[in-house]
Amino acid sequence: MDSNTPAGMLEADLVRKARRGDLNAYDELVKRYQERIYATIYHMTSNHEDANDLAQESFIKAFQALNSFKGGSTFYTWLYRIAVNKTINFLKQRKKRQHMSLNDIDFNAEHDPDLVALISDKTPFRNAGLSELQKFLNEALLKLSEPHRMVVVLHDVQGQSHEEIAEIMGCNIGTVRSRLFYARQQLQGYLSEYAKPA
Amino acid sequence: MNENENKFENVRRLLKLKRHEVPPPGYFNNFSGQVISRIRAGEAGNAGSLTERLNVQAPWLVNLLHLFEAKPGVIGAFAISLCLLLAVGVMVAERSDAPPEDLMAFSKSAPLAGNPLLSGVTPEVAQAESGGIAVSTNPVISLQPMTAFFGQPNQNPLLVQQASFAR
Repeated sequence: MDSNTPAGMLEADLVRKARRGDLNAYDELVKRYQERIYATIYHMTSNHEDANDLAQESFIKAFQALNSFKGGSTFYTWLYRIAVNKTINFLKQRKKRQHMSLNDIDFNAEHDPDLVALISDKTPFRNAGLSELQKFLNEALLKLSEPHRMVVVLHDVQGQSHEEIAEIMGCNIGTVRSRLFYARQQLQGYLSEYAKPA
Repeated sequence: MNENENKFENVRRLLKLKRHEVPPPGYFNNFSGQVISRIRAGEAGNAGSLTERLNVQAPWLVNLLHLFEAKPGVIGAFAISLCLLLAVGVMVAERSDAPPEDLMAFSKSAPLAGNPLLSGVTPEVAQAESGGIAVSTNPVISLQPMTAFFGQPNQNPLLVQQASFAR
């Protein structure tokens, strides 16, 4: 890949150029992280439209605040922090209005061995479709507090490490672990019929 | 920790389903373009957002402008009052442009005693006026008596001599 084109540049170079107002460089940064930022916000809100708005606003805010980015962490972590704070603030404000607008499940889900096992096991899901399972799961997630939901989403859905989550959420690793434990425990309770301990 | 992982294995399996939730096809093709457009629009807005600047610098003007929003009656009244003000201004301007002779004629014809405009005129001035002192084109100045300091009438009026540089 040509290192002179935005797509071939290192993150640090793109950030430097974007800070000088180069929108082509920032466009490339958006493209690199749009899916992960969107997914995190979507899993937190369970609403595609809200996730779309918040993801866009997060990128816009990050661009406006680029001069305050000192490089103490990676741009990716810094961007995540903006998105997480924005999402948590949004969820606190809309507390009484939790309308789900779920995305479709992709074709690969039907071939995911874990999901196939869940549905084919002797569970209430053996007669249920994936979309029903999706609905139950999202309802259960929305019952968690925002910090607990965020930890579960970042760790169990996005696959981030405890250290990364601690940096993104501005807390220590112990807090991340305890939140994760508590959140899973809560989820197991909410989904007791479907997620009995192995 | 492994014990915890095993304990919540089914929850973790269930949560894997979330990874398969995807936005509509082609959604990310336009995403970055929309973000950049909004940034450009924001920059343009920041540069020329007159309303925002007015809100900070002259909130009273913004409030005044808000009065006119969807209120044709207020707009009409404001326009009429502006027209009236303009008409009055034109009339006053025309009067002040009147030739000074008219005013002099007015001052001569009107009795000085009862004239409020000339009520402050001293008898000496009135006498001088009736004596036919040559007046300049400025009637107000013509009514001023030549007085010395401390209000005493000037007994020795200035003598005008022609300047001559001839030796």
